[in-house]
Amino acid sequence: MSGDRLLRGVGVSPGIAIGQAVVIRWDLPEVTRGAVAASEVEAEIRRLHAAVATVQTLLEKLRHRTAERAGPEEAKIFDAQILMVEDPDFLREVETLIRENQLTAERAFEFKTLEMRALWSQSTSPRLRQRVVDLVGLQVRVLNQLVGRAVESLLHHEARRRPIVFTRELSPGVTVQLEMEHVAAFASEEGTRISHAAILARSLGIPCVMGLVGGLDRIRNGAEVILDGGRGTVLIDPTPAELAEAAEREQRRQALVRELEATVGQPAKTTDGTTVALRGNLDLPDELDGVVEHGAEGIGLLRTEFLILGRTEMPGEEEQARFFTRVAQRFAHHPVVVRSYDLGGDKFPAAFRPVPEPNPFLGWRAIRVCLDRPEIFRTQIRALLRARRHGDIQLMLPLVTGVEEVERTRELVAEEAAALRRAGIPAAPDVPIGVMIETPAAAMIAEELAARSDFLSVGTNDLTQYTLAVDRGNARLAGRFTSFHPAVLRLLKQIVDVGRRADVVTSVCGEMASEPVAAFLLIGLGYRVLSVAPPALPLMRWLVRQIAQDGAQQAAHDALAVSSTAEATRALAVGLARYVDLDLVDVGRLPADAPEATLNRHA
Amino acid sequence: MAVVEQSVTVANKLGMHLRPAAEFVKVAGRFSSEITVGKDGQWVNAKSIMGVVTLAAEHGSTLTIRADGDDAEEAVAALLECLIKKRKEADA
Repeated sequence: MSGDRLLRGVGVSPGIAIGQAVVIRWDLPEVTRGAVAASEVEAEIRRLHAAVATVQTLLEKLRHRTAERAGPEEAKIFDAQILMVEDPDFLREVETLIRENQLTAERAFEFKTLEMRALWSQSTSPRLRQRVVDLVGLQVRVLNQLVGRAVESLLHHEARRRPIVFTRELSPGVTVQLEMEHVAAFASEEGTRISHAAILARSLGIPCVMGLVGGLDRIRNGAEVILDGGRGTVLIDPTPAELAEAAEREQRRQALVRELEATVGQPAKTTDGTTVALRGNLDLPDELDGVVEHGAEGIGLLRTEFLILGRTEMPGEEEQARFFTRVAQRFAHHPVVVRSYDLGGDKFPAAFRPVPEPNPFLGWRAIRVCLDRPEIFRTQIRALLRARRHGDIQLMLPLVTGVEEVERTRELVAEEAAALRRAGIPAAPDVPIGVMIETPAAAMIAEELAARSDFLSVGTNDLTQYTLAVDRGNARLAGRFTSFHPAVLRLLKQIVDVGRRADVVTSVCGEMASEPVAAFLLIGLGYRVLSVAPPALPLMRWLVRQIAQDGAQQAAHDALAVSSTAEATRALAVGLARYVDLDLVDVGRLPADAPEATLNRHA
Repeated sequence: MAVVEQSVTVANKLGMHLRPAAEFVKVAGRFSSEITVGKDGQWVNAKSIMGVVTLAAEHGSTLTIRADGDDAEEAVAALLECLIKKRKEADA
């Protein structure tokens, strides 16, 4: 019926949006027109200047808006392109090409940028090689302008009612350029629910679908679409009946949302009296208010990468100390767990992007970077020690694989505490140190790690990725990326048992904790501290209040007893369905291969 | 009319990366002289950010500034100052 009007991807941020498609093509157009008649040369040169002027204005506008919304540091990502587009020498060379070879403006511009790209990519200077990204960005903008294909459609369509943005990929760089608050929903061909942009969309509460392979070519600009961020679908040109159904579904969802709002301020306690501490994950500073409003009992994961993304230099001690203090002061009686820079993989600051690695997720990242570049780590440690005077700041280490990493960090902390004392700078004498369990290695030696740590926290995304050897960012593998795999379940059980025996707080701060079925499992396994994205807090509080601990424990027991992901998923879904309407709490997030009928019909 | 040429060591710890390069280009643009800047035999227009960035002058490398025109003297002086100022900033 809906046949080829229905696109399937992965729902990464729930909610249903009805709106108009805005297709943003962030790629290079094909230049087909090569040469012009001699009489048209001057007109081509005028066209070149007009296009460049338009792009220049656009970039200035983007920089201005980004500065307003995200701060001056984030706005700097446009500096390079603005400087390049203004380069008179470069433009003169393009002009000469047009004049001497009777080329079209786009052909000449393309030629000149390709020449530049070749030159820069071969350079031995890493700094120059990293400017290639900016050059390509400029090339995309100017060429699209010249061939009449606007790149920043969103800005040109400000008046458009509830735009639903479609792009090839939503890299952090692209997301920051979009005006999130004016967007009804997002969809992209690449990416999965663990992509940075997906996490961002969830934290802003904007519906989002990713992994729409080949979807961009099937959607025309301005088409009416229904995007379902729970089910992971996009429906083009919906019929009145489909529109009504979508509106009804969204209404039911919102009814639940209202119910959730009523739960704020109530204790997160199961019907049989088990209390679960709900903390918030903080990705960006402007989410802080949301975390406080939703009644989080502290911050279970304060990501510090935003301090760096899009910047050219590392943030200083003062800036970090101020920020950590600001967060700590909002939580007088609860811990604020700061994760040291989790750089590497898909996240690296412009300041020191290393040589590209063939396997970045198995490469130089997280605690490895921190310990190999102690000057960066020391600055962060000093900032934490200073901020700890104002609240219960704790330090969490990502991607730990050995006890040496914890021991070395303790030495660094002791050295910096001593240095601060000598310098007479007010600071705490120590900071609690916890380990993120996100590699099978860490899970296997959890006991040894627990003996050297003040707490453990499970990073479920990476633990799943490394255990299953499934790249969490690979859209093609999205169906295989599941934390309900028996191997992951057993590790989760093992970790919480170690934590209990060693008497250290053992929490889960991965994305998994925000999914109702997964949270049900974790509580059943014995986890009592869950840290989730701020918008998931009300749902989690509501969920905990619906379920019974003994039922969760039974379901977890059942899930551990079976041998396949599908069976485990089913056991958990059946268990949870005794307490809540699964269709309502967004089962769109369960693995694609899970039998839907079983999951949906247990209300 | 005069041709003025002078060499200087890049003092900025990060080398002539985007920001110092942009400032350098801006200063060069204030003069009417033709100004080129060279490193290891590669010469580029000092008024072009693309050119100056292409030089990829790392910390400690030697840049030669060459100006040809009525204000050549002032141009070279100003550009040297621009690079030395960077050195002070880097030392601070």
